[in-house]
Amino acid sequence: MEEIAAVPSARTVPRLTRRHLIAAAATAVLGAVGAFRGLRGSDEADEEGQPGAPGGPSLDFDETYRGRRIQGEPVTGDGAHGPEGWRVSVDGQPLGLMRRADGSYLSMVDHYQSYATPLAAARGAVDELGTHQTLSGRLH
Amino acid sequence: MYTRKNQSSLSRAERRRFVDAVLKIKRSGEYDEFVRTHIDYYVSDGEHRLRVAHMTPSFLPWHRRFLLDFERALRRVDQGVTVPYWDWTKDRTPASSLWGEDLMGGTGRRGDRRVTTGPFARGNGWVVKEGVTDGDFLTRALGRPGDPLKLPTRQDVAWATAETVYDVSPWDSTSSRGFRNRLEGWTSGVGSERWRNHNRVHRWVGGHMLGGASVNDPVFWLHHAFVDLLWTRWQRLRPDSAPYLPARPPELGDSQFERIVARRQPMPPWRTTPQDMLSHKGIYKYAE
Repeated sequence: MEEIAAVPSARTVPRLTRRHLIAAAATAVLGAVGAFRGLRGSDEADEEGQPGAPGGPSLDFDETYRGRRIQGEPVTGDGAHGPEGWRVSVDGQPLGLMRRADGSYLSMVDHYQSYATPLAAARGAVDELGTHQTLSGRLH
Repeated sequence: MYTRKNQSSLSRAERRRFVDAVLKIKRSGEYDEFVRTHIDYYVSDGEHRLRVAHMTPSFLPWHRRFLLDFERALRRVDQGVTVPYWDWTKDRTPASSLWGEDLMGGTGRRGDRRVTTGPFARGNGWVVKEGVTDGDFLTRALGRPGDPLKLPTRQDVAWATAETVYDVSPWDSTSSRGFRNRLEGWTSGVGSERWRNHNRVHRWVGGHMLGGASVNDPVFWLHHAFVDLLWTRWQRLRPDSAPYLPARPPELGDSQFERIVARRQPMPPWRTTPQDMLSHKGIYKYAE
């Protein structure tokens, strides 16, 4: 982890580097049990209705979708529901995600539509929020 | 003993008294306690903790108790009020009297989906306090105009009541058989076919009814009163079936150990058990 020791000033850190640091931190916590592999894998698994296999690739994300910034990363411990929790936000406000038994994800905005990945669930929440609503910051 | 009526059969005076009682407990703060309880007890079946309200065998008895508490609160305000039911197999359009200005009010406007008519419109004083979005107004999108879908049909209900077993392992949203999961409405389908019965009605109303804060929309109670009636009908139709399963708690080593409630175990936040909720005889009946 020598690259972490050599972090330049925050202003000059390119986003990719910052994301790698988050990924590295997550891997340090989770890598030992192999729970999260390939944090920066491809985006192919975001179609709804096709839950990813448990223990499969988990993708952190940070993108603008329909004008909203959606971010997500795997977390453990407090705030994680179940063994593979996620911290997801829309425009900086936390979006509660719940895991279903079939491996799919529901968001607190819509308890009835499940998605294969946290990214797809975040996009679905943005679709449901429309252009006028923002999250209150309340989880569940 | 009191009677829950079909909302379509209420007189003008009965509609007004129901709405007035709801508005009174909203003003006292009691209504928002019900909203919070429902939010707090929405536990999904991929979470490794006790779930009592959804994706679980106690979906029906938990909501029966929840409705009884709500109805008691209303009846403390007006002894003559009961919770009406909405038979969504019959009253199927936004033009139904259910959505009239003297009962639920209409759908939300385009754009922000704000309900602007009836007693539960923000402009008429109904303020959403316990929500997951920042808006303090009730939202709906009846029929999901952007991608229309229809309310569940009699055939959908029959698909659920055809089940002779109350519920089956793994006792969650993936249970492929059993009356409970088919009435709750989880399926492995895709597109708009994935939602059946109870779930599909939440989807059809849209807005607040989609999320954990669905109780903010008073139609929640009319919807769940009909779900409750369908449970009663199933029991009548299946006198030889066990009225609730599982009879005993899953054991250590079972994936559902300490995650679901057996017939004689308490359902938080109450000490009430599913056994206590198997019959409403002597408390209320349905006018059918």
